[in-house]
Amino acid sequence: MENFQSHLAQNRYDRQLSPPIEMAMENDNHNLSADKHITDIDPLVSAIIKVANQRDKAAFGYLFSHFMPKIRAFGLQRLNQQGLAMDLVQETMTTVWTKSHLYNADKGSVATWVFTIMRNQCFDMLRRVQHNREDAFGDDIWPLYDVAVSQDNNQDHKLTAKLLVHLDALPLAQRQVVQGIYMQELTQQELADALKVPIGTIKSRLRLGLEKLKSFLETQHD
Amino acid sequence: MIKHHPHAELLQAHALGELPLSMSIAVAAHCALCQECQTQIAKLTEQAAKLVFVSSGDDEVQHNASNEIDVVDNAPWQQMLSNIMALPESTMSEPYIESSVTVSHRNTRYQIPRVFRQHIAQPWQQIGKVSRMRFDMDEKNTRASLLHIEALGEIPQHTHKGFELTLLLSGEFSDSTGHYVAGDFIILDGNTQHSPITQTGCLCYTVLDAPLYFTKGISKLLNPIGELIY
Ligand SMILES: [Zn+2]
Repeated sequence: MENFQSHLAQNRYDRQLSPPIEMAMENDNHNLSADKHITDIDPLVSAIIKVANQRDKAAFGYLFSHFMPKIRAFGLQRLNQQGLAMDLVQETMTTVWTKSHLYNADKGSVATWVFTIMRNQCFDMLRRVQHNREDAFGDDIWPLYDVAVSQDNNQDHKLTAKLLVHLDALPLAQRQVVQGIYMQELTQQELADALKVPIGTIKSRLRLGLEKLKSFLETQHD
Repeated sequence: MIKHHPHAELLQAHALGELPLSMSIAVAAHCALCQECQTQIAKLTEQAAKLVFVSSGDDEVQHNASNEIDVVDNAPWQQMLSNIMALPESTMSEPYIESSVTVSHRNTRYQIPRVFRQHIAQPWQQIGKVSRMRFDMDEKNTRASLLHIEALGEIPQHTHKGFELTLLLSGEFSDSTGHYVAGDFIILDGNTQHSPITQTGCLCYTVLDAPLYFTKGISKLLNPIGELIY
Protein backbone atom coordinates (compact mmCIF):
# COMPACT_ATOMS: atom_id res chain seq x y z
CA MET A 1 0.00 0.00 0.00
CA GLU A 2 1.21 3.49 -0.80
CA ASN A 3 2.18 5.98 1.78
CA PHE A 4 -0.93 8.11 2.05
CA GLN A 5 0.64 11.09 3.72
CA SER A 6 3.23 11.79 1.08
CA HIS A 7 0.78 11.09 -1.70
CA LEU A 8 -1.59 13.66 -0.31
CA ALA A 9 1.13 16.20 0.19
CA GLN A 10 2.18 16.00 -3.43
CA ASN A 11 -1.22 16.71 -4.86
CA ARG A 12 -2.25 19.56 -2.71
CA TYR A 13 -4.06 21.47 -5.39
CA ASP A 14 -6.96 19.96 -7.04
CA ARG A 15 -7.78 20.38 -10.70
CA GLN A 16 -11.32 21.23 -10.00
CA LEU A 17 -11.85 24.82 -9.05
CA SER A 18 -14.80 24.92 -6.76
CA PRO A 19 -14.18 22.60 -3.84
CA PRO A 20 -10.81 23.96 -2.74
CA ILE A 21 -12.14 27.47 -2.94
CA GLU A 22 -15.13 26.64 -0.84
CA MET A 23 -12.87 24.99 1.65
CA ALA A 24 -10.56 27.92 1.87
CA MET A 25 -13.50 30.19 2.50
CA GLU A 26 -14.81 28.00 5.19
CA ASN A 27 -11.47 27.97 6.93
CA ASP A 28 -11.39 31.71 6.75
CA ASN A 29 -14.81 31.94 8.31
CA HIS A 30 -13.74 29.80 11.20
CA ASN A 31 -10.52 31.60 11.76
CA LEU A 32 -10.09 35.10 10.58
CA SER A 33 -6.33 35.05 10.77
CA ALA A 34 -4.70 35.36 7.38
CA ASP A 35 -2.56 32.31 8.05
CA LYS A 36 -5.50 29.98 8.16
CA HIS A 37 -5.39 29.05 4.62
CA ILE A 38 -5.93 26.78 1.68
CA THR A 39 -2.60 25.05 2.26
CA ASP A 40 -3.87 24.04 5.67
CA ILE A 41 -6.77 22.08 4.23
CA ASP A 42 -7.77 19.18 6.36
CA PRO A 43 -6.17 16.03 4.89
CA LEU A 44 -9.57 14.35 5.14
CA VAL A 45 -11.13 16.97 2.91
CA SER A 46 -8.27 16.72 0.50
CA ALA A 47 -8.64 12.93 0.42
CA ILE A 48 -12.37 12.93 -0.20
CA ILE A 49 -12.02 15.39 -3.06
CA LYS A 50 -9.44 13.10 -4.65
CA VAL A 51 -11.79 10.18 -4.29
CA ALA A 52 -14.66 12.19 -5.76
CA ASN A 53 -12.72 13.60 -8.69
CA GLN A 54 -10.17 10.93 -9.49
CA ARG A 55 -11.35 7.73 -7.77
CA ASP A 56 -8.03 7.97 -5.97
CA LYS A 57 -7.47 4.66 -4.19
CA ALA A 58 -4.65 5.82 -1.98
CA ALA A 59 -6.79 8.70 -0.77
CA PHE A 60 -9.64 6.29 -0.06
CA GLY A 61 -7.26 3.97 1.76
CA TYR A 62 -6.35 6.89 3.94
CA LEU A 63 -10.03 7.61 4.70
CA PHE A 64 -10.66 3.94 5.36
CA SER A 65 -7.76 3.71 7.79
CA HIS A 66 -8.87 6.85 9.53
CA PHE A 67 -12.53 5.99 10.03
CA MET A 68 -12.60 2.19 10.16
CA PRO A 69 -11.58 1.70 13.82
CA LYS A 70 -14.03 4.33 15.03
CA ILE A 71 -16.94 3.09 12.96
CA ARG A 72 -16.22 -0.39 14.22
CA ALA A 73 -16.20 0.82 17.84
CA PHE A 74 -19.47 2.69 17.28
CA GLY A 75 -20.98 -0.42 15.68
CA LEU A 76 -19.90 -2.66 18.54
CA GLN A 77 -21.45 -0.28 21.02
CA ARG A 78 -24.76 0.06 19.17
CA LEU A 79 -25.17 -3.32 17.53
CA ASN A 80 -23.36 -5.39 20.08
CA GLN A 81 -21.95 -7.92 17.62
CA GLN A 82 -18.60 -8.23 15.84
CA GLY A 83 -20.13 -9.24 12.53
CA LEU A 84 -22.63 -6.40 12.52
CA ALA A 85 -19.92 -3.92 13.40
CA MET A 86 -17.93 -5.16 10.39
CA ASP A 87 -21.04 -4.75 8.26
CA LEU A 88 -21.44 -1.21 9.50
CA VAL A 89 -17.87 -0.41 8.48
CA GLN A 90 -18.41 -1.99 5.09
CA GLU A 91 -21.73 -0.25 4.40
CA THR A 92 -20.54 3.12 5.61
CA MET A 93 -17.25 3.09 3.72
CA THR A 94 -18.97 1.77 0.59
CA THR A 95 -21.20 4.84 0.60
CA VAL A 96 -18.18 7.06 1.12
CA TRP A 97 -16.52 5.43 -1.91
CA THR A 98 -19.52 5.40 -4.23
CA LYS A 99 -21.05 8.73 -3.24
CA SER A 100 -18.06 10.86 -2.39
CA HIS A 101 -19.25 13.41 -4.94
CA LEU A 102 -22.13 14.22 -2.61
CA TYR A 103 -19.82 15.55 0.06
CA ASN A 104 -20.15 19.31 0.30
CA ALA A 105 -17.52 21.10 2.32
CA ASP A 106 -19.86 24.05 2.78
CA LYS A 107 -22.21 21.87 4.80
CA GLY A 108 -19.70 20.56 7.30
CA SER A 109 -16.64 18.51 8.02
CA VAL A 110 -15.82 15.14 6.51
CA ALA A 111 -16.24 13.64 9.96
CA THR A 112 -19.80 14.99 10.18
CA TRP A 113 -20.62 13.62 6.74
CA VAL A 114 -19.23 10.17 7.49
CA PHE A 115 -20.97 10.22 10.86
CA THR A 116 -24.26 10.94 9.11
CA ILE A 117 -23.79 8.00 6.76
CA MET A 118 -22.81 5.73 9.63
CA ARG A 119 -25.65 6.79 11.94
CA ASN A 120 -28.24 6.35 9.20
CA GLN A 121 -26.89 2.95 8.27
CA CYS A 122 -26.76 1.91 11.90
CA PHE A 123 -30.35 3.05 12.41
CA ASP A 124 -31.54 0.77 9.60
CA MET A 125 -29.37 -2.12 10.78
CA LEU A 126 -30.74 -1.80 14.28
CA ARG A 127 -34.30 -2.00 12.97
CA ARG A 128 -33.27 -5.07 11.02
CA VAL A 129 -31.96 -6.70 14.18
CA GLN A 130 -34.73 -5.60 16.55
CA HIS A 131 -37.77 -5.68 14.29
CA ASN A 132 -36.62 -7.96 11.54
CA ARG A 133 -37.56 -5.24 9.10
CA GLU A 134 -35.72 -4.71 5.84
CA ASP A 135 -36.80 -1.09 5.52
CA ALA A 136 -34.45 1.81 4.95
CA PHE A 137 -35.58 4.99 6.64
CA GLY A 138 -32.30 6.44 7.91
CA ASP A 139 -31.59 8.54 4.84
CA ASP A 140 -35.15 9.89 4.83
CA ILE A 141 -34.83 11.00 8.43
CA TRP A 142 -31.37 12.51 8.02
CA PRO A 143 -30.77 13.30 4.32
CA LEU A 144 -27.16 12.81 3.20
CA TYR A 145 -27.23 15.60 0.70
CA ASP A 146 -29.35 18.59 0.04
CA VAL A 147 -31.17 19.83 -2.99
CA ALA A 148 -28.53 22.37 -3.90
CA VAL A 149 -25.84 19.72 -4.10
CA SER A 150 -27.71 17.05 -5.98
CA GLN A 151 -29.59 19.25 -8.40
CA ASP A 152 -27.05 19.68 -11.09
CA ASN A 153 -24.17 17.52 -12.24
CA ASN A 154 -22.72 20.35 -14.25
CA GLN A 155 -22.65 22.65 -11.29
CA ASP A 156 -18.88 22.54 -11.10
CA HIS A 157 -18.50 23.55 -14.71
CA LYS A 158 -20.86 26.41 -14.25
CA LEU A 159 -19.15 27.49 -11.10
CA THR A 160 -15.80 27.40 -12.84
CA ALA A 161 -17.09 29.48 -15.70
CA LYS A 162 -18.59 31.96 -13.29
CA LEU A 163 -15.36 32.22 -11.38
CA LEU A 164 -13.37 32.77 -14.56
CA VAL A 165 -15.66 35.64 -15.47
CA HIS A 166 -15.10 37.24 -12.12
CA LEU A 167 -11.37 36.64 -12.10
CA ASP A 168 -11.03 39.55 -14.49
CA ALA A 169 -12.75 41.77 -11.99
CA LEU A 170 -10.07 41.12 -9.37
CA PRO A 171 -7.19 43.53 -8.90
CA LEU A 172 -4.12 42.33 -10.80
CA ALA A 173 -2.16 41.25 -7.73
CA GLN A 174 -4.95 39.01 -6.48
CA ARG A 175 -5.78 37.72 -9.93
CA GLN A 176 -2.19 36.58 -10.52
CA VAL A 177 -2.22 34.57 -7.35
CA VAL A 178 -5.64 32.97 -7.80
CA GLN A 179 -4.88 32.18 -11.42
CA GLY A 180 -1.45 30.82 -10.62
CA ILE A 181 -2.75 28.48 -7.97
CA TYR A 182 -6.01 27.32 -9.49
CA MET A 183 -5.25 27.38 -13.19
CA GLN A 184 -1.51 26.89 -13.49
CA GLU A 185 -1.35 24.72 -10.41
CA LEU A 186 1.66 26.49 -9.01
CA THR A 187 2.53 26.20 -5.37
CA GLN A 188 2.50 29.27 -3.18
CA GLN A 189 6.26 29.12 -2.91
CA GLU A 190 6.64 29.00 -6.68
CA LEU A 191 4.36 31.99 -6.98
CA ALA A 192 6.23 33.86 -4.30
CA ASP A 193 9.49 33.22 -6.14
CA ALA A 194 8.05 34.19 -9.50
CA LEU A 195 6.48 37.39 -8.22
CA LYS A 196 9.39 38.12 -5.89
CA VAL A 197 7.19 38.69 -2.86
CA PRO A 198 7.13 36.97 0.54
CA ILE A 199 4.94 33.88 0.82
CA GLY A 200 2.82 35.68 3.44
CA THR A 201 1.85 38.20 0.78
CA ILE A 202 0.80 35.38 -1.53
CA LYS A 203 -1.34 33.95 1.24
CA SER A 204 -3.12 37.18 1.98
CA ARG A 205 -3.66 38.02 -1.70
CA LEU A 206 -5.13 34.61 -2.26
CA ARG A 207 -7.41 34.98 0.73
CA LEU A 208 -8.61 38.42 -0.35
CA GLY A 209 -9.10 37.23 -3.91
CA LEU A 210 -11.14 34.22 -2.83
CA GLU A 211 -13.26 36.33 -0.53
CA LYS A 212 -14.02 38.69 -3.35
CA LEU A 213 -14.86 35.86 -5.76
CA LYS A 214 -17.14 34.34 -3.21
CA SER A 215 -18.96 37.62 -2.71
CA PHE A 216 -19.44 37.90 -6.48
CA LEU A 217 -20.93 34.43 -6.53
CA GLU A 218 -23.19 35.18 -3.59
CA THR A 219 -24.59 38.29 -5.25
CA GLN A 220 -25.26 36.23 -8.35
CA HIS A 221 -27.13 33.59 -6.41
CA ASP A 222 -29.42 36.11 -4.77
CA MET B 1 -45.12 31.27 14.91
CA ILE B 2 -43.95 27.94 16.27
CA LYS B 3 -43.82 28.11 20.04
CA HIS B 4 -43.37 24.49 20.97
CA HIS B 5 -40.14 22.70 20.13
CA PRO B 6 -38.64 19.33 21.05
CA HIS B 7 -36.64 19.77 24.24
CA ALA B 8 -32.86 19.66 24.24
CA GLU B 9 -32.49 16.00 25.26
CA LEU B 10 -34.79 14.91 22.48
CA LEU B 11 -32.84 16.90 19.89
CA GLN B 12 -29.61 15.43 21.20
CA ALA B 13 -30.94 11.88 21.06
CA HIS B 14 -32.20 12.51 17.55
CA ALA B 15 -28.80 13.75 16.35
CA LEU B 16 -27.23 10.61 17.78
CA GLY B 17 -29.80 8.39 16.11
CA GLU B 18 -31.01 6.98 19.41
CA LEU B 19 -34.75 7.52 19.04
CA PRO B 20 -37.13 4.91 17.69
CA LEU B 21 -38.49 5.40 14.18
CA SER B 22 -41.78 6.99 15.24
CA MET B 23 -40.01 9.68 17.28
CA SER B 24 -37.20 10.18 14.77
CA ILE B 25 -39.83 11.01 12.18
CA ALA B 26 -41.48 13.47 14.55
CA VAL B 27 -38.28 15.37 15.29
CA ALA B 28 -37.16 15.30 11.65
CA ALA B 29 -40.55 16.61 10.52
CA HIS B 30 -40.47 19.37 13.11
CA CYS B 31 -36.98 20.35 11.95
CA ALA B 32 -38.24 20.50 8.37
CA LEU B 33 -40.70 23.15 9.58
CA CYS B 34 -38.46 24.88 12.13
CA GLN B 35 -35.23 26.55 11.05
CA GLU B 36 -34.19 27.05 14.65
CA CYS B 37 -34.20 23.35 15.51
CA GLN B 38 -32.72 22.45 12.14
CA THR B 39 -29.72 24.61 12.96
CA GLN B 40 -29.54 23.08 16.41
CA ILE B 41 -29.54 19.56 14.98
CA ALA B 42 -26.73 20.48 12.59
CA LYS B 43 -24.67 21.67 15.55
CA LEU B 44 -25.43 18.61 17.64
CA THR B 45 -24.57 16.32 14.74
CA GLU B 46 -21.24 18.02 14.30
CA GLN B 47 -20.54 17.62 18.00
CA ALA B 48 -21.54 13.98 17.92
CA ALA B 49 -19.26 13.39 14.93
CA LYS B 50 -16.37 15.01 16.77
CA LEU B 51 -17.03 12.89 19.80
CA VAL B 52 -17.06 9.68 17.79
CA PHE B 53 -14.33 10.43 15.26
CA VAL B 54 -11.89 12.92 16.67
CA SER B 55 -12.22 12.22 20.36
CA SER B 56 -8.61 11.65 21.27
CA GLY B 57 -6.87 13.20 18.33
CA ASP B 58 -4.98 16.44 18.72
CA ASP B 59 -2.09 14.81 17.02
CA GLU B 60 -3.79 13.78 13.81
CA VAL B 61 -0.69 12.46 12.10
CA GLN B 62 0.26 10.08 14.85
CA HIS B 63 -3.35 9.03 15.16
CA ASN B 64 -3.60 8.16 11.49
CA ALA B 65 -0.26 6.42 11.45
CA SER B 66 -1.33 4.00 14.17
CA ASN B 67 -4.59 3.30 12.37
CA GLU B 68 -2.86 2.56 9.12
CA ILE B 69 -0.97 -0.25 10.71
CA ASP B 70 -4.26 -1.85 11.72
CA VAL B 71 -5.41 -2.03 8.14
CA VAL B 72 -2.15 -2.91 6.51
CA ASP B 73 -1.53 -5.86 8.82
CA ASN B 74 -5.02 -7.17 8.78
CA ALA B 75 -6.13 -9.37 5.90
CA PRO B 76 -9.92 -9.14 6.39
CA TRP B 77 -9.80 -5.34 6.44
CA GLN B 78 -7.57 -5.34 3.39
CA GLN B 79 -10.06 -7.59 1.69
CA MET B 80 -12.95 -5.31 2.60
CA LEU B 81 -11.04 -2.29 1.38
CA SER B 82 -10.34 -3.82 -2.01
CA ASN B 83 -13.91 -5.13 -2.30
CA ILE B 84 -15.23 -1.63 -1.74
CA MET B 85 -12.83 -0.07 -4.21
CA ALA B 86 -13.86 -2.59 -6.85
CA LEU B 87 -17.29 -0.95 -6.85
CA PRO B 88 -18.02 1.73 -9.42
CA GLU B 89 -18.95 5.23 -8.44
CA SER B 90 -22.65 5.69 -8.06
CA THR B 91 -23.13 7.32 -11.46
CA MET B 92 -26.81 7.73 -10.97
CA SER B 93 -27.13 11.31 -9.91
CA GLU B 94 -29.30 11.50 -6.84
CA PRO B 95 -32.92 12.11 -7.67
CA TYR B 96 -34.07 15.64 -7.26
CA ILE B 97 -35.07 15.78 -3.65
CA GLU B 98 -38.39 17.40 -2.98
CA SER B 99 -38.56 18.89 0.47
CA SER B 100 -42.14 17.74 0.87
CA VAL B 101 -44.58 15.04 -0.18
CA THR B 102 -48.30 15.22 -0.76
CA VAL B 103 -50.87 13.38 1.29
CA SER B 104 -54.52 13.58 0.35
CA HIS B 105 -57.52 13.31 2.62
CA ARG B 106 -60.76 13.22 0.68
CA ASN B 107 -60.45 16.16 -1.65
CA THR B 108 -57.79 18.06 0.20
CA ARG B 109 -54.09 17.75 -0.56
CA TYR B 110 -51.52 18.52 2.09
CA GLN B 111 -47.82 19.14 1.64
CA ILE B 112 -45.98 17.49 4.50
CA PRO B 113 -42.24 17.00 5.17
CA ARG B 114 -40.68 14.35 2.96
CA VAL B 115 -39.64 12.22 5.94
CA PHE B 116 -43.16 10.78 5.69
CA ARG B 117 -42.45 9.64 2.13
CA GLN B 118 -42.48 5.89 2.78
CA HIS B 119 -45.32 5.83 5.28
CA ILE B 120 -48.33 7.49 3.74
CA ALA B 121 -49.63 4.69 1.55
CA GLN B 122 -51.90 3.41 4.33
CA PRO B 123 -55.70 3.87 4.20
CA TRP B 124 -57.57 6.47 6.22
CA GLN B 125 -59.99 5.26 8.87
CA GLN B 126 -62.71 7.80 9.47
CA ILE B 127 -65.19 8.23 12.27
CA GLY B 128 -67.16 11.47 12.15
CA LYS B 129 -64.85 14.43 11.73
CA VAL B 130 -61.82 12.47 12.86
CA SER B 131 -59.72 10.36 10.51
CA ARG B 132 -56.55 8.49 11.14
CA MET B 133 -53.91 6.88 9.00
CA ARG B 134 -52.03 4.34 11.09
CA PHE B 135 -48.41 3.87 10.15
CA ASP B 136 -46.90 0.43 10.00
CA MET B 137 -43.82 0.75 12.17
CA ASP B 138 -43.76 -2.36 14.22
CA GLU B 139 -42.84 -0.69 17.48
CA LYS B 140 -44.75 -2.71 20.05
CA ASN B 141 -47.20 -0.46 21.90
CA THR B 142 -46.21 2.71 20.17
CA ARG B 143 -48.73 3.96 17.66
CA ALA B 144 -47.77 6.48 15.05
CA SER B 145 -50.23 7.97 12.64
CA LEU B 146 -51.53 10.95 10.78
CA LEU B 147 -54.59 12.46 12.39
CA HIS B 148 -56.98 14.56 10.38
CA ILE B 149 -59.71 16.59 12.05
CA GLU B 150 -62.24 18.45 9.98
CA ALA B 151 -63.30 22.02 10.74
CA LEU B 152 -65.01 22.38 14.12
CA GLY B 153 -64.04 18.84 14.91
CA GLU B 154 -63.26 17.75 18.42
CA ILE B 155 -61.77 14.70 20.03
CA PRO B 156 -63.56 13.49 23.16
CA GLN B 157 -61.69 14.39 26.30
CA HIS B 158 -59.33 11.65 27.26
CA THR B 159 -56.31 10.86 29.31
CA HIS B 160 -53.71 8.37 28.41
CA LYS B 161 -51.03 6.30 29.90
CA GLY B 162 -47.57 7.34 28.85
CA PHE B 163 -46.88 10.25 26.56
CA GLU B 164 -48.73 11.57 23.61
CA LEU B 165 -46.83 13.46 20.98
CA THR B 166 -48.65 15.72 18.57
CA LEU B 167 -46.88 17.50 15.74
CA LEU B 168 -49.19 19.89 13.97
CA LEU B 169 -48.47 19.69 10.24
CA SER B 170 -51.18 21.89 8.81
CA GLY B 171 -54.05 24.02 10.08
CA GLU B 172 -54.57 24.91 13.72
CA PHE B 173 -56.15 23.62 16.89
CA SER B 174 -56.66 24.71 20.44
CA ASP B 175 -57.04 22.93 23.72
CA SER B 176 -57.21 24.05 27.32
CA THR B 177 -53.46 24.71 27.28
CA GLY B 178 -53.30 26.96 24.23
CA HIS B 179 -53.54 27.61 20.53
CA TYR B 180 -51.24 25.78 18.14
CA VAL B 181 -49.90 26.37 14.63
CA ALA B 182 -48.18 24.19 12.03
CA GLY B 183 -44.81 23.01 13.31
CA ASP B 184 -45.77 23.04 16.99
CA PHE B 185 -44.39 19.96 18.72
CA ILE B 186 -46.45 19.07 21.75
CA ILE B 187 -45.70 16.31 24.22
CA LEU B 188 -48.23 15.61 26.94
CA ASP B 189 -47.60 13.15 29.69
CA GLY B 190 -49.99 10.59 31.12
CA ASN B 191 -51.47 13.01 33.66
CA THR B 192 -52.79 15.51 31.17
CA GLN B 193 -56.39 15.76 30.16
CA HIS B 194 -57.17 17.67 27.02
CA SER B 195 -59.73 17.95 24.29
CA PRO B 196 -58.39 19.62 21.22
CA ILE B 197 -60.79 21.46 18.95
CA THR B 198 -60.06 22.92 15.56
CA GLN B 199 -61.93 25.81 13.94
CA THR B 200 -60.62 25.37 10.42
CA GLY B 201 -59.46 21.76 10.43
CA CYS B 202 -55.98 20.32 10.88
CA LEU B 203 -53.56 17.56 10.02
CA CYS B 204 -51.25 16.22 12.72
CA TYR B 205 -48.69 13.51 13.20
CA THR B 206 -49.22 11.75 16.51
CA VAL B 207 -47.27 9.19 18.46
CA LEU B 208 -48.82 7.40 21.38
CA ASP B 209 -46.96 4.93 23.45
CA ALA B 210 -50.12 3.39 24.88
CA PRO B 211 -53.81 3.25 24.03
CA LEU B 212 -55.89 6.24 24.99
CA TYR B 213 -58.58 6.04 27.62
CA PHE B 214 -61.54 8.30 27.32
CA THR B 215 -62.74 9.77 30.57
CA LYS B 216 -65.91 11.67 29.97
CA GLY B 217 -69.36 10.23 30.52
CA ILE B 218 -70.66 8.79 27.33
CA SER B 219 -67.23 8.60 25.85
CA LYS B 220 -66.57 5.64 28.10
CA LEU B 221 -68.86 3.70 25.86
CA LEU B 222 -66.73 4.76 22.97
CA ASN B 223 -63.60 3.16 24.31
CA PRO B 224 -63.48 0.48 21.61
CA ILE B 225 -63.80 3.23 19.03
CA GLY B 226 -61.08 5.11 20.76
CA GLU B 227 -58.88 2.08 20.43
CA LEU B 228 -59.78 1.87 16.80
CA ILE B 229 -59.15 5.50 16.04
CA TYR B 230 -55.88 5.69 17.88
ZN1 LIG C 1 -38.14 23.94 16.67
